This record gives sequence, C-alpha cells and structure tokens, in this order.
Amino acid sequence: MAAEMTPEALSKMAARAGLKLAEDELQELLPGVNRALRQVAELRQLIEDGTEPASAFSALKVDKV
Amino acid sequence: MTADDLSYLTISEAAAGLRRKEFSPLELTKACLTRIKAIDDKLHSFITLTADRALKQAREAEKELHSGNDRGPLHGIPIALKDLYATKGIRTTCHSAVLEHWIPDHDATAVAKLQEAGTILLGKLGMHEFAFGGPSVDAPFPAVRNPWNTAHIPGGSSSGSGAALAAALCYGALGSDTGGSIRTPSSHCGIVGIKPTYGRVSRRGVVPLSWSLDHAGPMARCVEDCALLLQAIAGYDAKDPASANVVVPDFRAGLRDGIKGLRVGVPRAGWFDENKGTDPETEAVFDQALKTLLELGATIVEIDGTPFSLARKANQTILVCEAYAYHEKTFQSTPEKFGSSVRRRILEGAFLSAADYITAQRARSVLNDQIRANFARVDVFATPSAARPPEAFESIDPNEQNLRPNFTNPFNLTGLPAISVPCGFTPGNLPAGLQIVARPFEEATCFRVAYAYEQATEWRKQRPPL
Repeated sequence: MAAEMTPEALSKMAARAGLKLAEDELQELLPGVNRALRQVAELRQLIEDGTEPASAFSALKVDKV
Repeated sequence: MTADDLSYLTISEAAAGLRRKEFSPLELTKACLTRIKAIDDKLHSFITLTADRALKQAREAEKELHSGNDRGPLHGIPIALKDLYATKGIRTTCHSAVLEHWIPDHDATAVAKLQEAGTILLGKLGMHEFAFGGPSVDAPFPAVRNPWNTAHIPGGSSSGSGAALAAALCYGALGSDTGGSIRTPSSHCGIVGIKPTYGRVSRRGVVPLSWSLDHAGPMARCVEDCALLLQAIAGYDAKDPASANVVVPDFRAGLRDGIKGLRVGVPRAGWFDENKGTDPETEAVFDQALKTLLELGATIVEIDGTPFSLARKANQTILVCEAYAYHEKTFQSTPEKFGSSVRRRILEGAFLSAADYITAQRARSVLNDQIRANFARVDVFATPSAARPPEAFESIDPNEQNLRPNFTNPFNLTGLPAISVPCGFTPGNLPAGLQIVARPFEEATCFRVAYAYEQATEWRKQRPPL
C-alpha cells in the first residue's frame, strides 16, 4: 500500500520543484497525485529483482545528425 | 457529381479522378475551402487555415500532373495537420496559449514527406492542449466538436483531425497518439486512424507529450487511404532517436488478401469489466463486429486481459513524468498559460519520484513480455477502440477515464501497431470503432484485417448530419 500524500507534503514538494501553486490548486491536485502513487504501488508488485526498465541507452547509436 | 460527393471522395477515388481529368487539384482544394467556410464555424476543427498557400500548391500540382510529373497517389490531394506538427513559416500552437504565436523555422519530417508526395496543405487542426487533458475549454481556441452531434466531444487528442475528416473538410490528416489520441477520435468520429509501430514514423518536429510513448500517424476516411498516407510518412529518420531502421513494405500489397484462418485474440476477461466496465451498447457493437470477422473466416480466441488492464497504469505514470519533464520550465515561469485541464494532469508528474518513473518503466518490460506472449496463440488482438460513446460536453467528468477500461494505451506502452476502423453506431447515433492490433511492424496486417471488415460492412458510407 502506498503512503498517502498529505496537503503539507504536497506543498513542500511544490516549493522544492519551483512551483508556485495556490492552496486550492494543491487541494485539487491531491486526489490525482494519490491515485498516481497507488498505481505505482500496484506496478511495483509486478516487478522481479532482475527486471530492467524498458527504456534503453545504446552506445552504438552514433548516427544522430 | 455534387459538391458533397466531391468532398466525400476517398483519396484513392480522388487520385483516380485527377488522372482521368474529371476534376483538378484546384477544384478539390476549392471544394474543401468552401466547405470549411460553410461548416467549420460549428465544428472549430481548424485553428489556422492556409488558404492562399493551398490554392498556390493546387495550381502547382495541376501543372505538374499535366506535364506528366506525377509524384504518386497523394499528388494534388488536400490534407491538414494536427497543430503540433512543426510547419515552416506557419503558426504551430499545440492549441495552447504557451505556443500561441510560435512560427517554426522547420518542417516536421512527416510534413516534409507529405510535401514531397505532392499533397496540398489546407491548414492546422485543433486538438487537446499539448495533446493531453481533455477538450480545451479555456484555451485561446475553441474546443473541437463532433460532426455527428455537435453537443458531443469528437475524442482526442487529435480532435480536429477526426472532426475535419468526418465532415469532409479534408481528404487526409495527421494525428499523434500517446495513449489513444489517433484511435479515440477516429472511433468517435467514424473514421479510420492507425497508430503505427513505435519507431515506424519519425517524430522529429512533432511537439512531444511523452517521448517514449508518442507515435505519429495518419487518419483518413477509409483503410486504403490510411495505408497510402502511412506509405508516404513511414521510414527511418536519423534525426529521431527512436526511429527504427527497418524496411517499409508496400502497405497496400496484401490489402485484399482476406482473413481466412486469422486468429483474433480478444482480451475480455479481466479487462472489459474493469471498474465501471465497458458501456454495454458499445460492447454489443463490438460483439457484432466479431461476428463479421468470424463470417469472414477468422477464429476468435479469448485471452487473459489482466496485463492489458495493468498497462494503463504504467502508461499513465510514464506519461505524466515525461510530460512534466518536458514542460517543467514553463510550469515554473508562466504556469497561467496552461489551460486548467492539461495543467492539472501534467502537474501530477511533478510529485512522482525518479524511482516511481523507473518502476513504471520496469513494469513496462514485464507487461510488454506478457502481452506479446499472446502472439504465440493469436495473430491479432481485437477490442473496442473506446469503452463508451463520446460524451456530451456538458457531462464531461475528468475522473471518468480512470473508471473505464482504456483500450488504446496498452499499445503505446508496447509500441504495437493498432488501427481503429468504424464498426457501427450506438443507439444515440454516435460512431463506435473496432481496434485491431498486430505484431511489431506488421501494420500491413492491421490494414488487411481492417480492410476486410470495412468492405464487408456499410459503415464507411455513412455521413454525419451536417
């Protein structure tokens, strides 16, 4: 189960990210952020130790012009 | 031929007519411009009209065709572009106050390719702001409306592309798709749209929403036209880091080969009934479409929908993180320029951690393997393109999208090619789409199945009551 984000924590994170958000906007954001965190917690259950992320860097990719 | 009939020609029909000299590129272009002037006040599908340029291009195309310099089936065909494709010298807004006055100094690769193919650019089309959120009610341009019923949304985010095609304001269009933004408006507007395999079409010059999920692709009034447009824009582009250096086949070669023996996987269990579930009328239309596929010689195989359902969560996590990263500076400097819908959605990404993002990318690896493993048993997947009919503007609920299955975004996560083809109407006379998904780089299979279905039904002949 993911820890729920509180309005205070959201406000601190917003300030750290350089965002100037009004209190009412933070309140509006809170349910969506908590839903997003719950989703990540569900996804975490799918992963085994050796699972690498889908995004990959290729050292061979040198043809960008 | 009436003016309406001229406007509703498919690209293939128009191309044939041009070569028989039944009409000219100039007449096709004027027909579109006249119709846009007469109808688009109701739909708002165009943000920027490039009428003078289009007329000039039409005259040039006419001269070239007369002199035997034939560039192929798109030569002299009027098209339009979702307003996130960079167009040199033409305003490109992303339907946002943030880019309201941006005039790019370059063309997107796909735009340049369409120009080389001889198309005529009518203008730039409305969309959801920055291809995200919902209908943009507080953006500098009005929200696009559905030609089948203007009280309803056309779906997004390529909403102008869907509406303009359904209303016969252009013959072909480009959209972009990060979670369903080509296929949803195609479904809601009763047209055809394909999200090609990730890497098939260059995204260079397409304003990003989410780098690892964004796909560029065509939309049209029929399957063959989509194949023609994809043929023109597909191919390797060294300037797009995600571009795939793979052979581009002739997408029309197997179009008429039929689907006898094709194994169609339906991931119903564990997905179609997620939360509030699929709208029953929409599912009934889909089941009727499956019957048609059976009659055409396909077999239906029920498969587990659980990984498809989970894919939505990974898609949404990756999308908001990448979208916020792209827009971070603007959110810090001029956040008021974003509309409320896109602002709320993208800002979620500011509150997820790097570990959350990587978790979603790791889950993407797992789900990709689980979903693709089904191709050992089936040749394609089939689903409804959308879980319910297009909502009325007055009853839009931004939370609703998380309460229904999302049939499109698993295939952004997996990068698989997916097409939406019209498959009927729900009782409110609003269109519904059938989605066909194939193995990587097998867009030709999507086209073959969708074409067989399209030709076996009459849906493509319906016109909205404008």
